[in-house]
Amino acid sequence: MPQIFLDGQPFEARTEQTVLQVALDHGIFIPRLCWHPQLSVAGNCRICVVQVEGRSWVEIACNMPVSEGLRVLTDSPLVREHRKAIMQFITLNHPVDCGICDKAGECTLQDYHVAFNGEASISREPKVQATKFYRLSERITLDNERCILCTRCVRFTREVSKSNALGVKHRGDHSLIRPAEGDDVRPLDDDAYSENVVDICPVGALLSTRFLYKDRVWYLKATPSVCPGCARGCSIDVWHRKPEWALRALDARHNTAIARVTPRDNPDVNGPWICNKGRDLALLLERRRADAPMCKGRAVALDEALAAARELIGRARHPVALVSSWGSDEELAAFGDALGGRFHCFVKDDHLPADGEVVEDALLIRADKNPNGRTARARFGDQAVCFAPDTDLVLVWGEGCDFGRLPRGVPVIFLNAFLAPENGHAEVFFPTSVHTERDGHFTNADGVRSAFSRCFDRPAGVVDAEQVFRALAAAAVAEGVTR
Amino acid sequence: MAELRARDAKILMTFPVTATSHLLAEARARGAYGALEKALRTMTPQQVAKEVTASGLQGRGGAAFPTGRKWAVIQYDDGQPHYLCANADEGEPGTFKDRWILENSPHQLVESMLIAAYALQVRHAFVYMRGEFSAPFRRLQGALDEAYAAGLIGENILGTGFSCDIMIYRGAGSYVCGEASALISSIEGKRGYPRNRPPRLTVKGLYQRPTVVNNVETLSNIAWIVQHGAEAFKAVGTPKCPGTRLISISGHVARPGVYEIEVGYPWRRLIYDDCGGMLHGAALKCVIPGGISTKVLTGAEIETLNLDPAEVEPAGSSMGSGGMVAIAEGTCMVRLLQVMLRFYHHESCGQCTPCREGMGWLHRLIDRIVAGQGRLEDLDMMARISKLQDGNTICGMGDAAGYATLGILAKYRHEFEYWIREGRSMYEGNLECRRSS
Repeated sequence: MPQIFLDGQPFEARTEQTVLQVALDHGIFIPRLCWHPQLSVAGNCRICVVQVEGRSWVEIACNMPVSEGLRVLTDSPLVREHRKAIMQFITLNHPVDCGICDKAGECTLQDYHVAFNGEASISREPKVQATKFYRLSERITLDNERCILCTRCVRFTREVSKSNALGVKHRGDHSLIRPAEGDDVRPLDDDAYSENVVDICPVGALLSTRFLYKDRVWYLKATPSVCPGCARGCSIDVWHRKPEWALRALDARHNTAIARVTPRDNPDVNGPWICNKGRDLALLLERRRADAPMCKGRAVALDEALAAARELIGRARHPVALVSSWGSDEELAAFGDALGGRFHCFVKDDHLPADGEVVEDALLIRADKNPNGRTARARFGDQAVCFAPDTDLVLVWGEGCDFGRLPRGVPVIFLNAFLAPENGHAEVFFPTSVHTERDGHFTNADGVRSAFSRCFDRPAGVVDAEQVFRALAAAAVAEGVTR
Repeated sequence: MAELRARDAKILMTFPVTATSHLLAEARARGAYGALEKALRTMTPQQVAKEVTASGLQGRGGAAFPTGRKWAVIQYDDGQPHYLCANADEGEPGTFKDRWILENSPHQLVESMLIAAYALQVRHAFVYMRGEFSAPFRRLQGALDEAYAAGLIGENILGTGFSCDIMIYRGAGSYVCGEASALISSIEGKRGYPRNRPPRLTVKGLYQRPTVVNNVETLSNIAWIVQHGAEAFKAVGTPKCPGTRLISISGHVARPGVYEIEVGYPWRRLIYDDCGGMLHGAALKCVIPGGISTKVLTGAEIETLNLDPAEVEPAGSSMGSGGMVAIAEGTCMVRLLQVMLRFYHHESCGQCTPCREGMGWLHRLIDRIVAGQGRLEDLDMMARISKLQDGNTICGMGDAAGYATLGILAKYRHEFEYWIREGRSMYEGNLECRRSS
């Protein structure tokens, strides 16, 4: 364990660490643009320069190995001078079009410009022009003028997603990030993790086409959540409009829409990455919602639906429940406590891999496309769904159930969040909330429990499944639940 | 007395060049492959390496790093593959000395590479050759074919059990690929980007294995050193920098070409005797000593200097790669710098920020000055950009362009000021050598 000194303070370091890693571990700030904790060291941006005490020159911290007694200055006058010069070099051909840039507000270059330069450009030369709106893939748009050629995206596709989709073309200040060519290259459209390059881009060069010009990030709030797309249960941030910036004009749905989804760094589960499916959570969760309880297709008050359900349960001799693998730990517990003893329970896969979707890979994506199958199976067993001939009631919780395969003539109690033809076929139907409308936990396939928080209020008419289960259990309580 | 010695010893240019002098038969008649036989049959790898270290041989590519010290990092018996690369990517403007070796004495390089490979226990050696070299490529490939046919290279060389193959890898025309680590990236099939140190190439180089990259001229000295011994080599040149240098001289001299000089050779004698003086008797304005990345020295400065790093470096420049350019009085230094900066801008690989942006900046600045739109503060800006690039880039190219700019700006600032003030060159149509012809 060598001891090194940063600005005179001693710190313990590990032999394989670099000065930059030691500094970051101990909360000492060193700027960096090309360096990323999960990628190899490129050492090309040169902003992380530090000065070894007694030397009259600067060196980059990201590639400086630690050695016993190394004394490094991270903020000497020489370091400041060089950082300022590097910022002047980097912004020399950068268009500085922050006013129309999606990255503004969360842009590393913008922050560093304020911190290390803060001056107008000292150059009088015209800027190098390059391609705007280059379509790298269906999801990603590239603005080459904003690009500072840190090559994080290139290294990501080589080292993490392994598609080798991106490379650098041309030389010098005419270099461009472009799709790579070669036998070992998969196009970026086939890279299931491609949109991570938008997050790791330190400037606004790589842009999410879906998010382009949709929102300014300072109007958005990131709520910690969990991606329900597969059994990995990646930690994510769901970005949505801040309540204090709620739109009063335009469509009120803007206030309850998912603006974008980004990974939330979680070393136990997903690191700093998520797959593209996770980015498309809005497509999954913003389908048309069911918003009224129904009895045989007729909209009724919640109390009436609960009463009908209670009566069905009370009469049934051999009821069967198909439990949702999208239920949170809390909901599954509530179901088990309230109704688990009354029903013969099977766990149902709410979602199966869609056509063209990556089923499983070595990085994050798991074959089980449900977030909480592990907890559900631990609680309710792992048997395949089968109906005994004497089944006289089926409770279906969640999507993914083919009603044609249920026993004929047996009444169905159905809980579903989305509008579907089956909703009206059920004897009793409850519209339920989705996981962005409540707090809870998912436990992923490896047993890691992650919390998600409420982003939006429940739409009118929608109930939490947990409330329904508790109300059904409390058969003696007359008034049931209200919103 | 060292000063009284004639200083005309030759190591490389020891024979008259004829149409067949590069062929194996004639090379063997001159004693080629004798050193290889001596090394393989009578010396251990350590003894060869020790001999090279003792000779004090320094790199001839420009940085003058002691070859023995570079080799010493390689543990020849550490069980992993090692690689040897001959740097024949002679891209430094003004330099064409390696070309002479490749075209006229290819067997000296092949033999020296085999000896070096033996000392470092290298099974596969590479020659990274500049893409534009077509005659040198044919000559060297021909020499390799001859050597293979004669059993001097390949499996079980001369029946000693030592095997080594030499492959030629042709570059695609990038200046930066002459930098050792970019050269290695290029051989690996990657983009020719230089790599960050550490790790040094002698620790992790080609295919992540210890690798020695030496200049063609450096390597070509090895056979001579092994044949004649380190002491004989040290007797040539100066004690601090033994041996000879190939100087490729171009520009306004009467007889440009490649000259082999002993280190310590008087500069005036090279230009005024060997090269026949300046073209049409013009006055010497300045000299770029060793490739355009070295600082210029004025005609007055070189008057008393000898071609010895110990004298050139205190004068504020260096011997560099030996690519000397003699410039006659009447040459416009603004235009000269413009040409240089256009070259550097074009050749910057674009990997690290200061060089990628700085080269274009300098080039656009000088273009504006030449277009008559310059301002006096632009000169300070150029000096500032050059200084800030220095030492903050991955490879030496950022530094080199900075040196060149600073060197010319410091000594010929008045020409730039004249151009900015008058909107034209101080020497429009007044090149002395042109006038007198």
